[in-house]
Amino acid sequence: MIRANAAEVDASIAVSGIGLLTPLGDTLGAFAEALYEGRHSVTNSQELAGVGESRIVDFDASRYATIRGMRVYNRTTRLGICAVKLALADALLETENLDANELGLVTASTFGHMDTLIEYDRSLVTVGPQQTNPVLMPLGIPSAPGAAIALAFGAKAFSITVATGGASSTDALGLGARMLQSGRANICIVVGASGYCQELSLSAQRAGMLTSADNFRVLDRRHAGTVFGEAAAAFVLERVSDARSRGATPKGVICAQASTFAPDPAGIESALCRACSEALRGARIAPSKLSLISSGASGLIESDRSEARAILATLRDAAERTPVCAVKANLGDTIEVAGLLQSLVAIHSLRSEMAPPISRLEEPDIPGLHYLMQKSDLDNGYALITSTSYTGACSALVLSANHGC
Amino acid sequence: MQRHVVITGCGLVTAAGNDLDGFWATIMRGASFIRPLQQFACPEMDTLMGAAVELPSSDDLPTTVDSIAYRSRCTQLAIAAAGRAVSDAALASGAIGLERAGIVFGTTLGQERQVADLSEHWVREGPDSVDSGFLRRCDNHGLAAVIAARHGLGGPVLLSATACSSGNASVAMAYDLVSSGSAEAMIAGGADTFSRLIYCGFRRMGALAKDVCRPFDRRRDGVSFGEGAAFLVLEEQEAARQRGARIYAELAGYGISNDAYHMTAPDPNGDGVARAMRQALETTSTTMVDYVSAHGTGTPYNDVGEARAMKAVFGDRVRNIPISSIKSTIGHTNGAAGAIESIVCALALVHQAVPPTANFSEPDPDCDLDCVPGEGRPMRVDTCLNLAAGFGGSNVCLVIKRPQ
Repeated sequence: MIRANAAEVDASIAVSGIGLLTPLGDTLGAFAEALYEGRHSVTNSQELAGVGESRIVDFDASRYATIRGMRVYNRTTRLGICAVKLALADALLETENLDANELGLVTASTFGHMDTLIEYDRSLVTVGPQQTNPVLMPLGIPSAPGAAIALAFGAKAFSITVATGGASSTDALGLGARMLQSGRANICIVVGASGYCQELSLSAQRAGMLTSADNFRVLDRRHAGTVFGEAAAAFVLERVSDARSRGATPKGVICAQASTFAPDPAGIESALCRACSEALRGARIAPSKLSLISSGASGLIESDRSEARAILATLRDAAERTPVCAVKANLGDTIEVAGLLQSLVAIHSLRSEMAPPISRLEEPDIPGLHYLMQKSDLDNGYALITSTSYTGACSALVLSANHGC
Repeated sequence: MQRHVVITGCGLVTAAGNDLDGFWATIMRGASFIRPLQQFACPEMDTLMGAAVELPSSDDLPTTVDSIAYRSRCTQLAIAAAGRAVSDAALASGAIGLERAGIVFGTTLGQERQVADLSEHWVREGPDSVDSGFLRRCDNHGLAAVIAARHGLGGPVLLSATACSSGNASVAMAYDLVSSGSAEAMIAGGADTFSRLIYCGFRRMGALAKDVCRPFDRRRDGVSFGEGAAFLVLEEQEAARQRGARIYAELAGYGISNDAYHMTAPDPNGDGVARAMRQALETTSTTMVDYVSAHGTGTPYNDVGEARAMKAVFGDRVRNIPISSIKSTIGHTNGAAGAIESIVCALALVHQAVPPTANFSEPDPDCDLDCVPGEGRPMRVDTCLNLAAGFGGSNVCLVIKRPQ
């Protein structure tokens, strides 16, 4: 039950479990090894000419979870359910033993319902309402992936879907932490998933956002666009004191998160800088104390430049010595999953004191930052996660791996 | 230290009116605006019933908004309602740092009509029908972004989706941001318009009212939909007082829960709704409730579950608490509903009266509540609960009180 006085609640929020499914692995160890080697999973699309993509091949949800009704859920929802299953196992939590009323869920999903909505609506036109599959209707609304995941794991404290495009999962981590800090649950799962949707890729291709596998570069002078990637990731969050009291070792700590908005693309740089500054202020950390920047740069030219300049403006004197990594160079833009993936890369890097390079980065476009071009030692201190969406949402998160917030 | 949060601006567009005074007077009469729809249809379905918004021409949007082709009914309704709320709160007066003000936008379906448009073209043109703007048009965050851009907001600009409780969830999320000091002010609310996914889906489920919805009535047979949008401006109490803002009400806090019961059906015992209500009362130290704005969709299952939840929470006192649903007046406006009903609660505190449940005349023994039949009721109102329950089981209960 919720505490009457939120001020009494432990403010430190631990990441006590991590689950992931990516084309580069479904364990943190395998994934990290791929990143350290600079590998990427981007190949040319078989369906869209001149477009790269990163897909999870041979995904079989039954390998990870047996959930009633799973077969009717779309790929995004199945990916999300499997990531949550892995995260709970990583946190040494079994749903059967959890108090459902103390389990909350925040789902990062902007487009997770879209392929189901398109399929359902198209069938209304092609075969008529009486012949449509009625099961698809409730799965075609934006909150459906989150509702299905909450149902699968019996999350009864709350289930909220956050949709801020590429900033979704960074915002979701902030929301999940706040919900725990205010005592609305004892455990909060934050999940993001992104499955392939043909119509979204087609539209992005025609908007000139996508580039080929060969030309895909992030933060590089030759960046020419992004590619979409499939992935899922989930974090189990709990108050540090709760994690310790059940004998769990926090893998990381969420120190602070801040969201801002840019009314036009030209304003992303200053809005992201404000988000970073607010997050650092909330964490009571000077920019010089950061050990790592886990950037959301995706290969989109203007977006990469805004991101780099915002990081420069945030770090100031520390810019040239603070390592910058960018996991989208390995996996493409996984949109709603990106902030979670950037965060888990940061946590693993801090804990192992080794950060991965930015895959295929050869000539940085914006000078002045310490872009990682090979794997690099780093201090186990603090990491800053940066995220933006093309609709203007900016989000920044400060993480620690040594419980020092 | 927790900061008190107050409501300093309200704006809405509904079938029952687009200004606060007119809206309040209309809903107090117990009128219903659920009528045959002229501007909206679904394949192979007879004339649809619903409550449509008539916007004055001054609200008509240009073909692009802020240089972006955001022309959509949902966007138009949202812009109109948010503009009224911002104006009502004098948010642009310079007294508030808009760089630390934001918006939480709630929607059930958002830009669903963009997909409907795509389907119509797809059957003729196939993949060629997908244009470069589709990705951006179907991104629901664009709904929040277009309002933030128009009003120069630089703080958190979020979109929450918890189905039909999205409006309440957005108000709750905004409450947390203001009460924690993360934002100076927040616009919170939601918008939705008619959707063929909803009409066709509810028809298949047998959950669409044959003529009009009758919440808590023995003859109720389903939901009637409406379109609408509503936004509230939330600020910290002392800051609002210092700038001389009109304070409608205090948003004292909220309770939240999830049924985790079924993708469409509510928990028949109302356990999740009761948990949200209890949490709302406990966290705000509320012991006396004068009025409950019910979710009250008019479906047989929802209303019984909600009535059971209220009996479980209030016990015998429940019969002394007026409980009404305005969904029989303006239809179920999905993501806008919670925000519109929050404004109803604020106006109930201002006018010291509660609105009726239109179309209610035959009490159901399973819903033996004081449903305020007929017309609105003048009475002392100090504390209101605003209850919303969403598809998939997400429940949010807001506590709205007379300002201290």
